[in-house]
Amino acid sequence: MSTTIPPTPTGAAVPPGADRPSAPAGPPSPAPGGSGTTAPSGGAQPHSPAEREAAIRRVGAELDRALPRPSRSPMAFAERRAMAQLMDDPELKAAVFRFVDVRPACADAPALARHLAELLEDAEGSRLGRRGAKMASGRGTRRLTAGVASVGVRGMAQRFIVGEDAATAVPGIERMWRDGAASTVDLLGETTVTEAEAESYYARCAETLRTLHDAAQTWPAQRLLEVDAAGPIPRVNLSVKVSALTPLLRAHAPERGIAGATERLRGLLRIARDTGAHLHVDMESFDTRESITELTLRLLSEPEFQAGPSAGIVLQGYLTESPEHLERLLSWAGSSNRSSPFTIRLVKGAYWDHEVIDATRHGWAPPVFQDRRACDRNYEALSRRLIDASLTGRVRAAIASHNLRSIAAAAAYADEVGADIEFQVLRGLGDETMQALVKTGRRVRCYSPVGDLVAGMAYLVRRLLENTSNDSFLSAQAKGTDLDTLLEAP
Amino acid sequence: MTFINEPALELRRAEVRDRATAALADLDARLPIDVPVLIDGRPAPGTPFDSVDPGNPATVVARVQGASAAQADTAVAAAAAAYPEWSARTGHERAEIVRRAAALLRSNRLGAAALAVRECGKPWADADADVCEAIDFLEYYANGAAAMDDGQPLLQMPGERNALRYVGRGVTAVIAPWNFPLAIATGMVSAALVTGNTVVFKPAEQAPACARLVVDALHAAGVPHGALALLPGGDEPGKALVAHPGVHTIAFTGSCAAGLSILETAARLAPGQRHIKRVVAEMGGKNCVVVDEDADLDDAVPGIVASAFAFAGQKCSAASRVLVHEAIADDLIERLSGAIATLQVGPAEDFATDVPPVIDREAQERVASYVDKGGAPAAQAPAAGDAAADGGPAVSSDGYYARPTLFVDLPEDHPVVTEEIFGPVLAVQRVPSIDAACEIVDAGTFALTGGIYSRSPRTIESFVRRSPVGNVYVNQPITGAMVGRQPFGGGRLSGTGPKAGGPDYLLQFVEARSVSEDTVRHGLVV
Repeated sequence: MSTTIPPTPTGAAVPPGADRPSAPAGPPSPAPGGSGTTAPSGGAQPHSPAEREAAIRRVGAELDRALPRPSRSPMAFAERRAMAQLMDDPELKAAVFRFVDVRPACADAPALARHLAELLEDAEGSRLGRRGAKMASGRGTRRLTAGVASVGVRGMAQRFIVGEDAATAVPGIERMWRDGAASTVDLLGETTVTEAEAESYYARCAETLRTLHDAAQTWPAQRLLEVDAAGPIPRVNLSVKVSALTPLLRAHAPERGIAGATERLRGLLRIARDTGAHLHVDMESFDTRESITELTLRLLSEPEFQAGPSAGIVLQGYLTESPEHLERLLSWAGSSNRSSPFTIRLVKGAYWDHEVIDATRHGWAPPVFQDRRACDRNYEALSRRLIDASLTGRVRAAIASHNLRSIAAAAAYADEVGADIEFQVLRGLGDETMQALVKTGRRVRCYSPVGDLVAGMAYLVRRLLENTSNDSFLSAQAKGTDLDTLLEAP
Repeated sequence: MTFINEPALELRRAEVRDRATAALADLDARLPIDVPVLIDGRPAPGTPFDSVDPGNPATVVARVQGASAAQADTAVAAAAAAYPEWSARTGHERAEIVRRAAALLRSNRLGAAALAVRECGKPWADADADVCEAIDFLEYYANGAAAMDDGQPLLQMPGERNALRYVGRGVTAVIAPWNFPLAIATGMVSAALVTGNTVVFKPAEQAPACARLVVDALHAAGVPHGALALLPGGDEPGKALVAHPGVHTIAFTGSCAAGLSILETAARLAPGQRHIKRVVAEMGGKNCVVVDEDADLDDAVPGIVASAFAFAGQKCSAASRVLVHEAIADDLIERLSGAIATLQVGPAEDFATDVPPVIDREAQERVASYVDKGGAPAAQAPAAGDAAADGGPAVSSDGYYARPTLFVDLPEDHPVVTEEIFGPVLAVQRVPSIDAACEIVDAGTFALTGGIYSRSPRTIESFVRRSPVGNVYVNQPITGAMVGRQPFGGGRLSGTGPKAGGPDYLLQFVEARSVSEDTVRHGLVV
């Protein structure tokens, strides 16, 4: 069954059911609260821009009401305030991030105290930094300060990481499942620079797929999470990084990385197929996009994977070329003869600073949007295109965002055209968004990193930087920006 | 004019790589290139020799006429004759001409890079960086020379007008290396020209076609033919130029032994010589990367691999020693060994190549002799062709390939540890502390580049303060200095310390002349 996915730039709905596999579930359930949510409209007329905007506001307000209030989670509130404070104190922020970064490389308490004191000393312009430096270098307070800071870092890391390995992650993942949210596990690790490291990452992925498979047998049924309009959804979902599967990724020679990762990714696809799991290939820096895309599409086109596993890839909306890239993915999915739909996870993209720095140093135009609003507009356009395409049943749309406006726009549009989509959030950053999505009856999956403290630190630093960047939606939310502003059209 | 670095080719895009490959095919169709002796714009014959593709020596890149000592004489006389007119122009005028040369190179970006790929075995990214750096030198020195027209501000008294002007020194001999066949040649030649000197240029024997490309661009841009001569060849023309009484400045980049010999010869007054020769020399290095116990090995390992093995270690800035804190040494050695095993050795034109051939048979044999002396290596990359996937360019067994090799824990006085190898060989030693590493670095005879991977601000400060090298890099690779961003050059036996691509470089090529005029007439300031 080969289906081309026609572009629908106006957002007009492809008549649902036209080429859709018979779905075990009906259309997606609208929010149980039903507070003003537009019911799926089937073949109804597309909405006018004003109607669409109104629907976004409604869905956004509904999600906002469903967010847990700060008063109910005092820890989160305190952390938000601390984050907001950091954002207004760039020197202290730099010192804190550098400390978080070096924390796992400190062999003992004196090493910790020394680094902390040195880094805080460099934050001369910060009052808090000066006070901290005194405490971190003072004879009586040195050990205590380092200890507190170290524990603080560990605590923070644990909020973002669901477990040290697959086995210890299982309880947290099961708890989420019982609470109504699916997950995708991401194994953190050092940068792969050797074949041995690639092999060890492969082995961890294989082990994780098996461990999760065994664990998931006893989980209770969650209809919303297990079936959508396109068919059954695997309970177990693993996200893999091609850069960890081979040390041979080269920006100038995509074929080397492809050759280097092919056997290992094929092995994981086989295990995923045999255990009935979903395997999702993460996208990384722009340098590796060609290798990752080609590798994934080539392998999934192999006859042995025609019947499975369920698999997917990521589209980074911050790339200015993302609309063309989405068309490439859709065209592949449309002509693929695989039996399960191809999941496309739409993210904003996590390497914005890297892309801008890298391009600027080389004198290139950055491959990413420089303007936040343009980026958000593109994200909404991509989500509409992706949602339209999902109506064919050949692709699944996963909208991964913490931006209430982006989420509301995708949700409202999916409701409008009668599409059945999934939302995704990051553990630690999107916990509250996840709760709101669950509460309003939307399908949500939590991207859940697994790994030890050393491996987790690079991840943690990146997430923290994202969270405290002035452009971040979450930081705007944390500062108490009002809902109308948060939901403004980009 | 504001200086910005020439943007690199975006080789991560397939269409850019396709254009590069097409440019190389165009070049291959035109080989071999004729490189004559060029004096006063007139090509002359000499002793013929060839330059070849290091990856496939059967490919002749250039048929070259090697210049004689007598031709060096003629060239110096021609350059001396051209000097008065050229030096009389303003810095602005000369700067305009040099900028035009930059524009010409810019319009031939891919062709120039292809030539460096073919003639010197530079992989595309390095070859392109070479072209960019050549363009950067032209633009940067053009700006510098134009600014020199204004002289320097001096203290002024009533009725007294003081000025400090810069003037050219005379005939400059430029003796250039093959490892940056476009950039370093262009940098030295253009610095001399733009400040009002005339130039006799003796390129490396291995890079004559690249040299001709540079000379052609400068002539086409408007440098008078008499002001720039090209003397391809080996030692003979070079030695003749260094000893020549008509040469005022010698700009040299190359080996330490050659540099010292030039300094010695240049210091002797030749019969008829009425000036002191100035030598601008950039020589070798034995560069160390220090790895602290708190270093992030995810950064350090790729950084060290790039510093040591890119372009087969044939950069004077390349890393050849790692001094690692013993607490983290085993980890680093294991990961570094594994990373080296992933390196693909192959032809420069293959985008999949990590490590290209070395420049010639002699270099190949030199590297092999050091590898022999080192005993059992801790790690080695597969031989050329062994790791290559199907479909890439063929790997010739005659290519001058050398396998990237890692040695660990060699004695402090071992030749692999102390001598400049100029090839893909790296020695790792354990140190008990960063202080101990600093002492080892400080005991070295060279002082060109050096780096540290550490996350302790105080350790980094202390390393930077104690390091004798000209270019210090913190938490990044130690090669790839950029014009206007990391002025390049070292001290001790690494050179006379001019900083190429920096604000002081042009001062090496000029004399300062102080002019003081009394403007008082009949007791009045007029």
